[in-house]
Amino acid sequence: MTPTTAHPETLTGDTPMGELMKLFPGARRALFARYHIGGCQSCGFSDTETLANVCQRNEDVPVDEAIAHILQSHENDEKMRVSPRELVALREQDAGLKLLDVRSREEHEAVAIPGSVIMTQDVVQEIFNTVSKDVPLVLYDHTGDRALDAAAYFIGHGFTQTKCLAGGIDAYSTEVDPSLPRYKVEFAD
Amino acid sequence: MDEQQIKQAAANPQNVGEMTDADAVGTVGSPDCGDMVRLWIKYKDQGGQKVIDKASFQSFGCQTAIAVASMATQMILGKTREEALKMDAGELSKPLGPLPPMKIHCGQMVEGALKAALEAEAADKASVTQQVPAVLVDSSLHDALASAGKSVGKIKIVPLGS
Repeated sequence: MTPTTAHPETLTGDTPMGELMKLFPGARRALFARYHIGGCQSCGFSDTETLANVCQRNEDVPVDEAIAHILQSHENDEKMRVSPRELVALREQDAGLKLLDVRSREEHEAVAIPGSVIMTQDVVQEIFNTVSKDVPLVLYDHTGDRALDAAAYFIGHGFTQTKCLAGGIDAYSTEVDPSLPRYKVEFAD
Repeated sequence: MDEQQIKQAAANPQNVGEMTDADAVGTVGSPDCGDMVRLWIKYKDQGGQKVIDKASFQSFGCQTAIAVASMATQMILGKTREEALKMDAGELSKPLGPLPPMKIHCGQMVEGALKAALEAEAADKASVTQQVPAVLVDSSLHDALASAGKSVGKIKIVPLGS
C-alpha cells in the first residue's frame, strides 16, 4: 500500500474525500492549515462527500485553489516520506538513525519495529536537548497518515533530516517483516 | 475563533507525548476513526495541597483537539483536582477564542480526557476496567495505571485475521 501513488490529474472537485485522503494523506492537515476545514472525523467531512461539496459549504473556497494547495502540500509531504525498504536501507547506512513510534503505548507494546522507541515526553525532551539536529529521525505510526504531522513538528524545530514511514508499520509488516502481525484498533469506554 | 492562535497551537503543540511517571491518564474517542485524545497528569504537593504539576497529551487526527489540548495542559498547571474538574471545554479553549459550533465537540473531547484523568486518579474508582490488548505479552504502563485505578478509557489491539 505504499508509497501512495497520487497523480495531480486524479484530483478533481468530484473526488470523494475518502479517496482523496488515501491518495493525499496530508490533505487533512493542508486543508486545516489553509482554510480551517476539517479537524476530525465528526466535524470535518464524510468519506463520501466530494471536495467540491466540502469547499462549497466552507465559505465557498475555490475548488481549483484548494486542489493546488493540496497538491503543493502533498509534494512537500512526499519529501518527508520514506518507504519501508528505504527505511531498511537508511538504517543500514546510518546506525545513528533514530526510529520513533508515535502510536499509542498499547500498539507499541503489542507490535513494534525492532529498535524503535515510543515517543514519550521524555524521549522528545532528550532528543531536543541532546541530539544533533542533523541526526536522521524516522517516525512511524499505524498506517502512515498520522506520522506526517509529527514529522512536521520535528522539522519545524530544526530537525531537518526527519522523515516518516509511508504506510506505517502496517506497510512495513507487509513489505519488509511479515513476522510483525498486522492489527486493527478498537476503542471502548 | 482566533485562527492564528489555533494554527500556532496546532503547529507547535506543547506537552506532547506520553508521560512515563504520570499519576493518572484519561482517554476518550475512537482511534479507529482518527479522533482520540489521551491526557496524562502528574501531581505535586504545594503548601499541603495536591496540585497538578505536569500534564501532557497525545491526540490522533484532530487538529482542533491538538490545539485545545495543548492549551489545556498549560492552563491546568498549579490547579487542584477540584479546580481542574470545574473547567469545561469553553474555558479550556478560551485562549483560542470561541470555537465555532462544528468544532465544539473537539474541545469537549479534551474536556472528556481531562475529566477522565482527574476521575481516574480518585482512589477506589470501581468502574475502571483493566485493559488487556489481544497480542500484548507483557504488562504496560497503561495496564499498571489501570490496575492501580488510575486510568480511564481503553484501546484494544486486535490482530487481523483472528
